[in-house]
Amino acid sequence: MKLTIKSWTGVASWRWIANDENCGICRMSFESTCPECALPGDDCPLVWGVCSHCFHMHCIVKWLNLQPLNKQCPMCRQSWKFNIH
Amino acid sequence: MCDFSKLWSSDVVKIFPILCGSTSQILQSPKEEVFQNVCRQMSELGSVGIETLTDIVKLEMRSTIRNVIVPKFWVHFQVPRKETVSDPNALFAKFIEAVNELHESYQYLLQMQTRLIQLNRNGPSKTLEKQVVDENGTKTWLRDAMLAQLPPNFDVVIGAFYSVHFRLFTKDIYFSSNTIDSEVLSDLPCTGCNFEVQKCCCQKLIEMVNKTNQKLLELGLIDRLAGSSMTALIKQKIKEHINDTCLGIFDRSHLKELETWLQDVIMSWLRNIFTGGKQCDINECETIQGFKVKLTYFMYETFAQSVISRFFSIIIDYPDSTPAINDLKICMEKIDMRVYITKTLRNALEARLLHPGVNTMDILTGYVAAIKAIRHLDNTGVILEMVTAPIKDYLRKRNDTVRRVVTGLTEEGPTDLSEELAKGESVKDGKDNTTDELSNWENWEPDPFGIDPNILRNTSSKIMRSADIISMVVDIYGSKELFMVEYRNLMADRLLAQLDFNSEKEIRNLELLKIRFGESLLHSCEVMLKDVTDSKRINSHIHGDGNCNENQLFDISSLIVSAQFWPSFNKESLQLPEEIENEFKKYTKAYEAYKGNRTLNWRTVTGRVNILIEIGDRTMEMTVAPTQAVIIYHFQNKSEWGLEELSSLIKVPPSALRRRMSFWQNHGLISETHPGVFTLIEKESEKSQFEEMNITDADEEDLESAMASASDQREEELQVFWSYIVGMLTNLDSMPIDRIHQMLKLFASHSGGVEFTQDELKHFLQRKVREHKLLFSGGVYQLAK
Ligand SMILES: [Zn+2]
Ligand SMILES: [Zn+2]
Ligand SMILES: [Zn+2]
Repeated sequence: MKLTIKSWTGVASWRWIANDENCGICRMSFESTCPECALPGDDCPLVWGVCSHCFHMHCIVKWLNLQPLNKQCPMCRQSWKFNIH
Repeated sequence: MCDFSKLWSSDVVKIFPILCGSTSQILQSPKEEVFQNVCRQMSELGSVGIETLTDIVKLEMRSTIRNVIVPKFWVHFQVPRKETVSDPNALFAKFIEAVNELHESYQYLLQMQTRLIQLNRNGPSKTLEKQVVDENGTKTWLRDAMLAQLPPNFDVVIGAFYSVHFRLFTKDIYFSSNTIDSEVLSDLPCTGCNFEVQKCCCQKLIEMVNKTNQKLLELGLIDRLAGSSMTALIKQKIKEHINDTCLGIFDRSHLKELETWLQDVIMSWLRNIFTGGKQCDINECETIQGFKVKLTYFMYETFAQSVISRFFSIIIDYPDSTPAINDLKICMEKIDMRVYITKTLRNALEARLLHPGVNTMDILTGYVAAIKAIRHLDNTGVILEMVTAPIKDYLRKRNDTVRRVVTGLTEEGPTDLSEELAKGESVKDGKDNTTDELSNWENWEPDPFGIDPNILRNTSSKIMRSADIISMVVDIYGSKELFMVEYRNLMADRLLAQLDFNSEKEIRNLELLKIRFGESLLHSCEVMLKDVTDSKRINSHIHGDGNCNENQLFDISSLIVSAQFWPSFNKESLQLPEEIENEFKKYTKAYEAYKGNRTLNWRTVTGRVNILIEIGDRTMEMTVAPTQAVIIYHFQNKSEWGLEELSSLIKVPPSALRRRMSFWQNHGLISETHPGVFTLIEKESEKSQFEEMNITDADEEDLESAMASASDQREEELQVFWSYIVGMLTNLDSMPIDRIHQMLKLFASHSGGVEFTQDELKHFLQRKVREHKLLFSGGVYQLAK
């Protein structure tokens, strides 16, 4: 007997490749959205700092705007720099 | 001094024979000289003489009325019970005879009265005249005595008389309305008198009736004597007529015809009675008017009751039954029937819909139909609210209600809910209503009369005023949220079952639901549908990626879900063969490349696989579930597998695997050659059977939801009882489900009341069987050793 698979329609869930499950700022799951957004994924992306911590982009931007002087990572207090992959 | 006793015996009794006991013989008038003699001699006694004589005569008349005439009349009415049913014609004759006798006696009394007046007039004292001249005196005495001696059942005879009369009177009407041809008609007895047509005596009978009525009229007795019998008879006729002409016919209006009938038949019959058959067009007297008001009311009431008694059919027939509802509305303007309607409808709906034998979809269909019909009847919504409350209570207790509502909303079906959804009215909340009511003040109607004000208060704004069917249906659950959760679950099931990346219809439904229920409750659904369209785009991107297509064994498409927004998946697993898994890794890589920093977790057990099987010189193309594809895949290189062996390889529990395997057994590709051992069949002899097999896309198992359903969540709750079940089965060895259920309920009632049905328990126990914690055989559960 020979079996040929012609096509396969499967189901998968997507997730962020990150060290943590939840955003350290809003406490929501990364796969969910920040409090401001309605749609997850492309519309509410994650960003990484050079310190390797990551957050919802909207969350960290909002956080940084509230810190006029020392722009620090809210997790490790190192000065924040975006890690552009 | 005259010889008074001589005068008495010779002349006085000639004038007043009543004084010697004669009652009915009408004599010739005594000679003038007799009168004059009595007058003269009486005058000698002075005014006292005539006065006394007058008093004596009057006393005698009254006594005769009381003791002779009236008892004699009523004797005719003492009917032995049997006759009351058997022969109305005999009673008819009896009544005529009684009235004739009475009338004769009356004539006689009048004669006495006249002579008394004459005597007084000739006498010396004119002052007494007034007293004696009261011509109605005799009539009043007679009437009072009659009523004082009314026997029980007197109306049987009177009723019989008037029912014969009614038959005679309406004969012509029935002639014209019945379309029997004349030949047949001549063989039938006359409908009026029941004699053969040639010997018909209707005319004679009618004359007799008219004479009798005239006499009764003259006596002023007809109303008092026959009023209640006539009313009873007419009410009977009205009921019969409504039954004959209206019952069960809802698609046309009846009220006008009924009014005409009442006027043409009933009222003209009554007019005939009260004129004694004279054709003259008298002004309708008060009595007739009184009858008309009373009978019209009764007719409306009877008609309304007959409509209400069939209202369940009206609901089912709606909108074809609109004329019947309009008729009922007119009746309700005249008669306050709200309480009656509410009670009757509630009972009818309960009797027809609310029992275990009726499936939920039918109850729901009935509910929607009731909403439509009743709100046409009563736009205040009060009746609707009270009538449908028990349906809502009942539906709330059925656990598939929300599911059925959602099905109704998304698929065309008997409930028409999908049509309603498509109309796209928005749910009015309380606020909108107040403004609506204010701006619409010209059409304002006061709250209906006769309804418990508490109910009015409770049902105030929303349900009262809003006639929106969808919100009435969603309102069954009291919570939009719960409804939306179930909607999401069902939508997930549909999307995963179709997997065709075509969500247009779902999007359309969702848009309609959003209009009604607001976006926030449907947000998850929106993300889910966006996942579908995004997946389509990602798939086409990946398919267009040249790197990915190299050395590709087969096409992969994927529905990529945002797991946070979907209902949680159940915990089934499936290990893919390495060769296949590698293909998925390629897809994942392509995805990762496309969407930075993101990757995929495959849910291998869900999906659809298009396969081609070549065996001998047979080929077979089909679409199967992934687990089935993987099973048959493993039979390529090894034609015999032990259940446990394959189970541990593909990580499907043996019981589930066995079920999946039956799909291939049904297709004649695999057979269980020894218990627990499955072998591929490659023989040609199976060919014919093989080709005839109906190729199904997926077996029954695949119709099961891939999601953790509400019942799974329920099973988690039942987990509390697991240790207790183990304890029971350790002690009692084996038990049937109903015993387990009973004992758990006992236990549950002591431990804070988790309620569950036997069905739910069964699901739970079956899972334990699948997990090899329990054995089930011969209808009893045992612990697995
Ligand atoms: Zn966040
Ligand atoms: Zn965001
Ligand atoms: Zn950091």
